[in-house]
Amino acid sequence: MKAFELIRPTTLDQVLELLPKKENRDRVRVVSGGQDLYTEMKEHLAEPDQLIDLKRLPDLDRIEVDAAGTVTIGALVTIAALAEDLRIQSKLTVVSEAAASVASTQIRNVGTVGGNLNQRPRCWYYRHEGAKCLKKGGTECFSKEGLNKYNAILGGGPSYIVHPSDLAPALICAGAEVVLVKKGSSRSVLLEKYYTLPSEGDVTRETVLEPDEILTHVKIPAPPAGWRSTYIKFKERGSFDFALASVAAGISVDKEVIRFARLVLGGVATIPWRVPQAEEKLVGKKNDPASRKEAAELALRRAEPLSDNEYKVALTKNLIERALAQLGA
Amino acid sequence: MEPVTKGKADGPQWGPRDAMTLLNHNLRRVDGPEKVSGRARYTHDIRLPGMVYARLLLCPLPTAQVELDCSAASKLRGVFAARGLGGKTSMKTGFLGQPIAVVAAETPELAEDAVRAIQATYKALPWSVTPEQALSTEGGKVKDNGNLGKPATEGDEDKFKKAFDSSAAKVEGEFHIPIQHHCSLETHGVVVDFNGGETATVYASTQGTFTVSGDAADALGLKASQVTTIVDYMGGGFGSKFGLGVEGLTACELARELKRPVHLMMTREDEFLAAGNRSGSIVKLKVGADSEGRLIALDGDVMKLGGIGGGAFNKPQYAYSLSDSKPPSQDEESGKPARPSKDGLHTSIRSLYMHTDSSRAMRAPGHPQTSFPIESVIDDLAYQLKIDPVTMRKKNLANEVHPKQLDRVAERIGWAKHPNKTAPQEQPDADGTKTGIGFAVTIWGSHGGAGCECKVAIGRDGSLQSIVGSQDLGTGTRTYVAAIAAEEFGLPLSACTAKIGNSNYGNANPSGGSSTVPSLAPAVKSAAYKAAQAFLEHLAGVVKRPIEELEFRGGSLVDAKVLPDAKEEKERKAGKGPKALMTWKEACATLGAAGISGEGRWDQSLTHADGVHGAQGAKVKVDLATGRVQVLQMVGVQDCGLPLNRTAVESQLNGGMIQALSYALHEERVIDPALGLMLNANFNDYKLAGCQEMPEFVPLIDEDDIGRGPIGMAEPAVTPGHSAIANAICNACGVRLHSMPFTADKILDGLAALAAKGGTK
Amino acid sequence: MSLGDRTHVSRRSFLKGAGGVAAASTALGAAQAFASSPQVERMSGSTEIELSINGEKRKVKVEPRTSLLNALRNHCEPPLTGAKLVCNQGSCGACTVFVDKKPVYACMLLAMDCIGKPIATVEGLAVDGKLSAVQEAFVARDALMCGFCTPGFVMSVTACLGKNPKATREEIQKFCSGNLCRCGTYPRVFEAALEAGKQMQGGK
Repeated sequence: MKAFELIRPTTLDQVLELLPKKENRDRVRVVSGGQDLYTEMKEHLAEPDQLIDLKRLPDLDRIEVDAAGTVTIGALVTIAALAEDLRIQSKLTVVSEAAASVASTQIRNVGTVGGNLNQRPRCWYYRHEGAKCLKKGGTECFSKEGLNKYNAILGGGPSYIVHPSDLAPALICAGAEVVLVKKGSSRSVLLEKYYTLPSEGDVTRETVLEPDEILTHVKIPAPPAGWRSTYIKFKERGSFDFALASVAAGISVDKEVIRFARLVLGGVATIPWRVPQAEEKLVGKKNDPASRKEAAELALRRAEPLSDNEYKVALTKNLIERALAQLGA
Repeated sequence: MEPVTKGKADGPQWGPRDAMTLLNHNLRRVDGPEKVSGRARYTHDIRLPGMVYARLLLCPLPTAQVELDCSAASKLRGVFAARGLGGKTSMKTGFLGQPIAVVAAETPELAEDAVRAIQATYKALPWSVTPEQALSTEGGKVKDNGNLGKPATEGDEDKFKKAFDSSAAKVEGEFHIPIQHHCSLETHGVVVDFNGGETATVYASTQGTFTVSGDAADALGLKASQVTTIVDYMGGGFGSKFGLGVEGLTACELARELKRPVHLMMTREDEFLAAGNRSGSIVKLKVGADSEGRLIALDGDVMKLGGIGGGAFNKPQYAYSLSDSKPPSQDEESGKPARPSKDGLHTSIRSLYMHTDSSRAMRAPGHPQTSFPIESVIDDLAYQLKIDPVTMRKKNLANEVHPKQLDRVAERIGWAKHPNKTAPQEQPDADGTKTGIGFAVTIWGSHGGAGCECKVAIGRDGSLQSIVGSQDLGTGTRTYVAAIAAEEFGLPLSACTAKIGNSNYGNANPSGGSSTVPSLAPAVKSAAYKAAQAFLEHLAGVVKRPIEELEFRGGSLVDAKVLPDAKEEKERKAGKGPKALMTWKEACATLGAAGISGEGRWDQSLTHADGVHGAQGAKVKVDLATGRVQVLQMVGVQDCGLPLNRTAVESQLNGGMIQALSYALHEERVIDPALGLMLNANFNDYKLAGCQEMPEFVPLIDEDDIGRGPIGMAEPAVTPGHSAIANAICNACGVRLHSMPFTADKILDGLAALAAKGGTK
Repeated sequence: MSLGDRTHVSRRSFLKGAGGVAAASTALGAAQAFASSPQVERMSGSTEIELSINGEKRKVKVEPRTSLLNALRNHCEPPLTGAKLVCNQGSCGACTVFVDKKPVYACMLLAMDCIGKPIATVEGLAVDGKLSAVQEAFVARDALMCGFCTPGFVMSVTACLGKNPKATREEIQKFCSGNLCRCGTYPRVFEAALEAGKQMQGGK
């Protein structure tokens, strides 16, 4: 890790003062749990001169539920705290299951919601300092013709990274938005609009977050009546691994008919991948094998596998069917 | 029951097992408390006044012309040295990750700054880092005369063809076995304690305490006798840690230059790139069997992938024997290999060289690679012939041990009730999974070697020490070194201190090839026996009795004629019993200040380590929707001669099965051929099996093996597990994988291919 | 895949970049040119901080980039070497310690992240030389071989049972799945954990 200056503000205003202008965005980085950023710094993928530590900010480590049932999660809430929150467990199963599936006990104890949503991609070319790939400002995505069994089958081009967050698909499934704050203003962005495809905008970034902005909160609206949800994650190794594919699924069922559906895929696309056509297809149907199969087919219809990851298509379809089946009729 | 040690016995003998008080029992490791409390000090943990932290720079290209400029690095704050290895500023490298420069600094952080401040320019030379590259005309040449080594061949191809043509069942397959890494949790490295004086101490993470001092002395400009090597604790080796290595040599040179202690432990990435590996292989097998299931034809074409090294492979037929291809006559006993014959055998083994670091010995070198193809083929043949795979194996194993072991494994794993023995499960269970069972066998010959010297010393204060230079890799050496000596006097384990891991103690062989136990145990036994005899002789004078009338029992000196043990126990409980002539403390108090000791050497009569056998079975569940292979149970039967510590033997057997499981499901070095980069040189991307992968393990000691002395069994335990898992996968879902590891993508692709062929799903 | 071209181009550009790391002091000097706010705490270079380790206040000289693990192992005097450096990227658990009573990877925290928080290491588990129930069970059940992963596993199991002494084998496996072992002690670790759990329940 390269030497840096550690700055430890205690108020949000101080943080906003310290945030960099665009030209300095790589020299000044914000850190909360650091469970991804520190590995990037150890691997010299990130070499900031200044690290702004958010951990001493007050109030951002809370989960609050208002009278309307809106849940507000501070960016500094640890993933462990999110997974263990009983309110989340009872109302937003998909979110607590996703949180519990993240990495390992030790990482969940330190890693934060904000950090998880803003973690950098998984791709072994991106993560190798020696491969100056597109994501790192190079000219080529090596996974496209290289060893790509873990890479994206959806949303690829010109980069084929996968977005590794477990929380993101789950939170998108729950209709979450994120609050982004900069000096003098703030904005709310639907989480599904927060992530950017490699083909739109700056290929070295994954989100719309500006250099002088930070993500402070996640807000989840009260779920619709009869809402049931789940997150299933398939890992190559059962112990501590990233998803080969994951599915966040939520449905509202009334009199055995699906009234509302949300399906979001993780581990298979360059961004958390919502599949609206599949969702629409489910609405008005019974949650039976035929409609599940139909939805799964639709969800993967646009998949464009690379040389070594065709298997992800069948795997993801199967996981979608399994996730929906788990939600019951 | 015999007492443990009598006066004037004929010589050291292990004696009957039921008389043993420590050996063949479940012992607690003597170093357990040190290890669970963080007090055990490994090389990695050594801290010395004035010590500097050294770090290597590795060449990031497979082969390159390198020019080094270390001037900026040397000038950094807190940096003591930065230079090319061997003082060179220009060099040609021959493998990916070859160490080229070294730095030393006040802290590890500053050492990292220094290593990154070295200005290196690399001119890439044409490379070969995959078999495809090495075999192509475009790939770089590793050796002047080509990348493909000379084959070692056996047998006659025409005779093989004839036998193969006449076979009732035939299987052909090309198997791909990746390069595996040792992944010792403690990386390679040393700490050199040298301040420019007359002596030096080298703390080394090594399997060969006595392989270090000589080379270290040369590098330090000292005589070997002036250098002590200490290996108090070491964090795993698995075959990769012999000798001083480049890292050790470099640390010694730095210590000599700086006249300061130097700490040089490789980083995890260094370890993956430049500390050895288990060679991979590409194996083409053609095997034929007669209608009875006897193997009659085998053609094996093997390429070993050991980087710049040769790699390792056993005989392609491995533990199995071929039979004469003529049909067996009526009167021949079925179930036995009829008329062993090598007529149908034709094999060719050669190395394919690449610009990656040399393979090294790794737990049973060559055996796991050899096991997977042949064990897979045997199941395929058994399925074709509708012969139970256990029966099929028994027909082709020309020894009496394996069949019994296979039966025991089969019984324990529930083979008799398993419905689908020669075909995959037809319909999946309700949870969308299919279950299968597979088997495989292992062989090893772990000969002991001369050269081990042990001293067992008794002190006037009642202390008992068992002293030998050997190191404990985690196998339990320290514990049995103490146990053998304690048992000689009928003392509890806690009464004896094992002093090990020091080159000033008695010589010991390096721990490789499961040879530590058969080399060391006899030496300890001899030393303990001699110490006991010397002590008895001394005590005979003290108590004025003939030595023949004396013996140690329960740590006391007793009259050998009084009551055998069983009665004695009753008497003792009844409050009577033979009075000890002297307690241990009293007896020791009669010694002079120097105490008394015995020195022992390796004694062939105390070990019989030929022909080690084992068999393992695995039960797996395959999730058809995800391709996940979940191992449910592994059962291993292993002969081990006299188990010195039954708990440790079982732990080793578990460990072998676990490493095989990890090899089966996850492990593979991944190198991008175009970039010449290893993509998974870390524990995130190079996956080891973790807690969630662990099934039930059933480690079984082969209790039939009672005639032999202690045998090392670490190697055979690691050989068959992945092959059993491969067979279990095929038995479950019909997917025969020819390429390791058996990951979900391959299972899903295999299921899709079966479905396309109209097979079961 | 073709063997060469794209490689050689990108390789060279990388290598050029990697060669010239600027000296730390220069980089920091430049950084001070922007965003400065006097009341905000700033740490750079080698700085003495105070850490609370196993109930004792320890003064440690570290840089901002010094990990908690390196602080314990290399910058404390006397050093605390029970936690091991194995993967250095939060993948193996050999460096597991407690910060704020929770198990964490010491290699994945900065020492400065832990200022003012209680840190507990494997060295602090035994009380007056008496091993904890978990440590005892590890010894009794042979839950260690080379021993290099052992301190980390002891800490993880301690944390697991601290939460729930009745944890089942499956729960223990899940809780401890951030710890790796190479010798293959896993099944013994689970046995030890179950045994220690029983002890702890009996003791209450």
